[in-house]
Amino acid sequence: MSATTPQWVQGRFWMVASLVIVCLVAAFSLARVYNATRPVIEQQRIEATNRALAEVLPRATRFEEQVPDTLWYGFDGADEQVGSVIKVSPRGYAGPIEALAGIGQDGRITGIYITSLKETPGLGLKATEPRFRDRFLNRTPEELRLVQDGGSIDAISAATITSRAIADGIREGIESLRHRLPIGAGKSDPPDELDFSDPARPDQP
Amino acid sequence: MKLKYFTSGIVKENPLLILMIGLCPALATTVSARDGFGMGIAASFVLIASNLVVSLIRRYVPNSIRIPIFIIIISTFVTIIDYVLQAYQPALYSVLGVFVPLIVVNCLILGRAEAFAYHHGVWDSFLDGAGKAVGFTLVLGLMGIIRELFAAGTVFGVAVTPAGYREQPMLFMVFAPGAFLLIGILKSIVNRLTAGKARS
Repeated sequence: MSATTPQWVQGRFWMVASLVIVCLVAAFSLARVYNATRPVIEQQRIEATNRALAEVLPRATRFEEQVPDTLWYGFDGADEQVGSVIKVSPRGYAGPIEALAGIGQDGRITGIYITSLKETPGLGLKATEPRFRDRFLNRTPEELRLVQDGGSIDAISAATITSRAIADGIREGIESLRHRLPIGAGKSDPPDELDFSDPARPDQP
Repeated sequence: MKLKYFTSGIVKENPLLILMIGLCPALATTVSARDGFGMGIAASFVLIASNLVVSLIRRYVPNSIRIPIFIIIISTFVTIIDYVLQAYQPALYSVLGVFVPLIVVNCLILGRAEAFAYHHGVWDSFLDGAGKAVGFTLVLGLMGIIRELFAAGTVFGVAVTPAGYREQPMLFMVFAPGAFLLIGILKSIVNRLTAGKARS
């Protein structure tokens, strides 16, 4: 190999120049890739948020961001507000958990969705499954505690910390944003109450 | 054309089970079949690309600063794959997360740049990179399949065991001790199979 390598390659000048050239080429190619992928990444984030919003407040067809990345109001086809969505990030077992919770105009949970968590696969990671998320449906904020904490949410077995973080996180999130949530503002329409009069508890044995 | 550079990476010089390099991602990211294969493919792209570039410019790389130059090349490709995964495979990216930037310090990739691509032509370096990449990905995928099977009762998210098993699976396979146990078992099987050949 050394036979084909020019002498100047091992010199002091080229030592600096070669590193500069490599860094410049790397920087230019990274800038190109960054510019090409950035709009796609942004789009993915927006779509992921929209999917999650629609999941936790199914009756809403349009969302309005009230507090950036924290509070949304949801409106139905007739532009009537049907509920709100809050984002909370409590501390889980292995890192922060990010969750969205939909709250109807009557103050009951219309759905929760876990947008990011780093919990143990097979244990805490089960929090993303509908089996766990459905336990929150139609609960009032006051009920959002684990059964062993005096609430009505059944914890995932062997993942109490994760379950508690989500239940407490959503309850505390609702409490801290209560003044911005139009709950019990008097304008609850009768069909809503009929919908919620049947407490679905699919996980009770 | 030296096809042996390609084939040796899969069995005879398998990075994980024979050379024993690149073990950190093999233990950390193989909690499921999809994660294992995903990590393998991401690292493969970086390995092949860095081998190609290093062999292309090797005559103009001063001996004394070759390692910094290799690291810049490798981290450039890692950042590229990081952006591409974020843009086009967000679900996989959210799982691999912190492990993607860590491909930079995967000793397999710097090891092949230093030990092979710096001394060989472009075509040979490509074959070497591709062979090691396939060997690496296959073992990562195999570990992911086995760990997911025992710890969740599924493979690629598809249930393959009775529902009773999935209620109470061997959860510990998904934790670090399970990964160490599995790589130990795989290594001992390989040692058993290659023991006769090594002595003769």
